[in-house]
Amino acid sequence: MISVNSRMASAMLALGVFALSLSAPVQVNAQAGVDPAATQILKRMTDYLDSLKQFSVHTQNTVEDLLDSGQRIDTDVSANVTVSRPNKLRAERQGELIDQAFYYDGKTLTLYNPSDSVYGTEPAPATIEEMLHYASDSLGLIIPAADLVYRNAYPALMQGVTSAVVVGKAVINGVTCEHLAFSRPDVDFQVWVADGARPLPCKYVVTDRGTPALISVSTVMSDWDLAPVAADASFTFVPSEGDMAITFMPLDVSSGNAANESGASK
Amino acid sequence: MKMILKTAVLSVSAGLLFLVDVPPQFPLHVELVPEAHAILGVRRRAFRRGAVVGASVAATDSAAYAAEASQPAAAPPPAPAPAPAPAADGKPLPLGTVVSSLPAGCTSTPVGGVNYYYCAGNFYRATFQGNSLVYVTAKP
Repeated sequence: MISVNSRMASAMLALGVFALSLSAPVQVNAQAGVDPAATQILKRMTDYLDSLKQFSVHTQNTVEDLLDSGQRIDTDVSANVTVSRPNKLRAERQGELIDQAFYYDGKTLTLYNPSDSVYGTEPAPATIEEMLHYASDSLGLIIPAADLVYRNAYPALMQGVTSAVVVGKAVINGVTCEHLAFSRPDVDFQVWVADGARPLPCKYVVTDRGTPALISVSTVMSDWDLAPVAADASFTFVPSEGDMAITFMPLDVSSGNAANESGASK
Repeated sequence: MKMILKTAVLSVSAGLLFLVDVPPQFPLHVELVPEAHAILGVRRRAFRRGAVVGASVAATDSAAYAAEASQPAAAPPPAPAPAPAPAADGKPLPLGTVVSSLPAGCTSTPVGGVNYYYCAGNFYRATFQGNSLVYVTAKP
């Protein structure tokens, strides 16, 4: 009974916050269908990301989680990502429970756990996109910001979208951003896109609507730099004294082979 | 115990945190749907994780979690999940057994440029399973 009550209280609180946050400027009509104004802004953003030759960005990520007691625990991770198309990428991630860096210089990729003093290096395909496929399909790696460098994200994002609206304008880290809200079956996502000549993403939230818990993952992006100072050498991992090389465990043979061959042969 | 717990939680979160890193990957190329699945996965696993926080079965659950979470939902089956760290009873494990954390009291020995950890009758070496650091029993 107590848990039911507290759940109701939380739900009411959430509703209250929801109402509060939306009451002032804009009414969101979820039944409104797909508003072209929203999709145009999204398209402008993905096109702009496609056009970038290089960039660096800081991201602050939060994953919500629920213990079986119902207590909510959020986990935060900061990541810095530097991309130089077509063949260089570097990322560092740090949080309470993670400390990892990733390097790709067009020839090899390296995963490095500085606090454990271990790293793994593998030969890698010649472009970022091929490398991302290879890393994912053959090594089971997930690379921060991978999707920032995939081209033509728009159709994939819009797939199955049943509702798209412009909620209003928000200010995030001092930047005025268009707030867009999209809905797909069981998943909502919100995107904030910077106003002006540089339509970069400011923030991104994905919410699982298939459960009353409404778990979300969110990312706030800041410190976009479209001309980062990044020497070629900075994308190549150089072990420190005491660092030990370790291997990558191959993925299950049945799952890894085909992708491995296609990725490596390019 | 606390150490084991910490490591276990760490491997739980290692999986989780890679989800976190999906959003930064902003436009979510084909990832939006898998991510939705992943989020659903988080929800399902959250219950297990609750158990992890309070119990010594941590390693099993977290390892399974880490292995699961390190894979996109639509991907083929993941590599074998790490087993829990064995109790220090000196019983040797089959070669190739993957654990998410080393048992207590391991001593490290470099052999031919590879670092081996010896404890409880087994040699282990470190390896990356996806983004997660795991240990696999091996023969030096």
